[in-house]
Amino acid sequence: MPRKRHIMGLFKNEDNVVSAINGLKQSSYEFIRVNTPIPSHKIMDALKLKKSMVGWFTLCGGILGFIGGFALAIFTATRWNLIVSGKPIIAIIPFVIVGFEATILFSVFGNVIGLLTQTRLPSYKWLKYYDPRCSGEHFGVLAACEVGQEDRLKDFFQKQGAEVRVFEQYKESPQP
Amino acid sequence: MPQLTYASIDQTILNTLTPPKRYYWGIVFMLFLGVMIGAACWAYQIFTGIGVGGQNNPVAWGTYLINFVFWVGIAHSGTLISAILHLFRAGWRNPIARAAETMTVFAVCVAGLFPFIHLGRAWQVYYMIPFPNQRLLWPNFLSPLMFDVIAISTYLTVSSLFWYTGLLPDLAAVRDKSTGTRYKIFKILSFGWTGAHEQWRHYTRGYLFFAALATPLVISVHSVVSWDFALGIVPGWHTTIFAPYFVAGAIHSGLAMVLTLMIPLRKLFKYENIITIEVLQNVAKTIVLTGLIVGLAYGTEYFIAWYSHNTIEMEQFRWRALGDYRWGFYFMVLCNTLTPLLFLFKKVRTTLATLFIISLIVNFGMWWERFVIIAGGVAHGFAPHAWGLYAPSLIEYGIMLGAFCLFFFLFVLFVKHLPSVSMTEMKETIKEGAGHAA
Repeated sequence: MPRKRHIMGLFKNEDNVVSAINGLKQSSYEFIRVNTPIPSHKIMDALKLKKSMVGWFTLCGGILGFIGGFALAIFTATRWNLIVSGKPIIAIIPFVIVGFEATILFSVFGNVIGLLTQTRLPSYKWLKYYDPRCSGEHFGVLAACEVGQEDRLKDFFQKQGAEVRVFEQYKESPQP
Repeated sequence: MPQLTYASIDQTILNTLTPPKRYYWGIVFMLFLGVMIGAACWAYQIFTGIGVGGQNNPVAWGTYLINFVFWVGIAHSGTLISAILHLFRAGWRNPIARAAETMTVFAVCVAGLFPFIHLGRAWQVYYMIPFPNQRLLWPNFLSPLMFDVIAISTYLTVSSLFWYTGLLPDLAAVRDKSTGTRYKIFKILSFGWTGAHEQWRHYTRGYLFFAALATPLVISVHSVVSWDFALGIVPGWHTTIFAPYFVAGAIHSGLAMVLTLMIPLRKLFKYENIITIEVLQNVAKTIVLTGLIVGLAYGTEYFIAWYSHNTIEMEQFRWRALGDYRWGFYFMVLCNTLTPLLFLFKKVRTTLATLFIISLIVNFGMWWERFVIIAGGVAHGFAPHAWGLYAPSLIEYGIMLGAFCLFFFLFVLFVKHLPSVSMTEMKETIKEGAGHAA
């Protein structure tokens, strides 16, 4: 028997979602998450989310790529120390191209690593207490309450204009 | 026209993923046959030698390099639409962004094959990767050909990752509407995406960085391709306008290919409500702009030749218009600059048949532009005794057919197995105030 019961309110209107989030914050229920088919400014603002850290990963990747690109070009050039047509062995201008491409490539690698680590993907734990309608036209607000308070939480969601889904225990459900 | 809703968007796009009919597999088979013809020609070339192609002195760069530049060019508009127009918040790009991105990935794959084919001894390709050979020699990064290796491989990696990142919420949507084996496949492909607010918070930021990084990349890649030519001293190649000229040409041909692909797709998949005539019209208007830029570049080349008083440069451009390859030159001017001007007439740019026909004409003209630049430059160089003409051999035609078939083969497979329009971005389009780059 789970200690807490998880209940999801499924909305079709973003404003109702915002109102439900604000209501949950002022209640004794535990707000867990919102699942939405699209990113929403209103919901993000209501949740007062901090800025994502993904950019730092991108920046680190870019710095590594910049240094690595130049280092690779310089290293390979110095493996064959012959001056051809009076051109320098370490020619900065052509190496900018290698450095630039490596900067972009490793920034993107950093970005992907940032995305995967910050969103904690791939992980199928996200499918726990998830309703498949949330990738279609519904916005799902997931909250938890103590055993015995289910009816009050259901009632709260219904008053906000939501359809309600009560999760008995974790069971992945592919079909709505 | 009925109003789009979240449900109708999902329904329209998911309907395209229903099991295909027999004629679909017939098309796939025909394209596969074309790919096999190309593969057989390449295999014959590997076993017999690069001499089976028509390239020889003085024209050592023939259809292999022409097709390489052509396909890299096709790839460019995908990134223009998905990244650059995304940064400009151009909402009309949303219905065509996914297909254009996919076109980019497949076009870069096809383009990437041509340097291997042109290499002749394809098994020595590792000379181009930063790894010492038996004599402890490393690649020389002073060479524009090495710039190309770095640029194209970066472009393929970045555009593939960008494409898959954009696909993630849609893969989850397909998963949620599937059962059985399809559910299991899409569950793995979607990485467990659920659209949780924590996921969107990082995703929107990451997507914005992707777009911001892809934008300078797309400009750099075709600039690097142009330097394969411009850094040589060949008359007709050795000019500083090549980088912007090639970038504009690439976007021009890519946009034409977008129309070539989107118009049949729209008809076959009943996307009329999603890919509206306004969207196609906007692509057509952009083609007018890129066509004029390309036309300006054609004119500037002649101006530079005249203004420089360089007799060799002047002879090259006289010969371009009046010499053996003059038809190619007329094709490129007529098809790339003059014909797209018909899009200035509203009737032309709002009629599907004319949009489709002009897109094919631009593609044809852009192929000839590359022919005129690449083959024309070396065919009529500095020394008259070294002048010579080039014609592709049957093997080259076979490989070219294989390349075109490979591109369409991959695209036809894609449109029936993955969402060819982004459901998420379409939902964002009908809902004001939201966006991936929020």
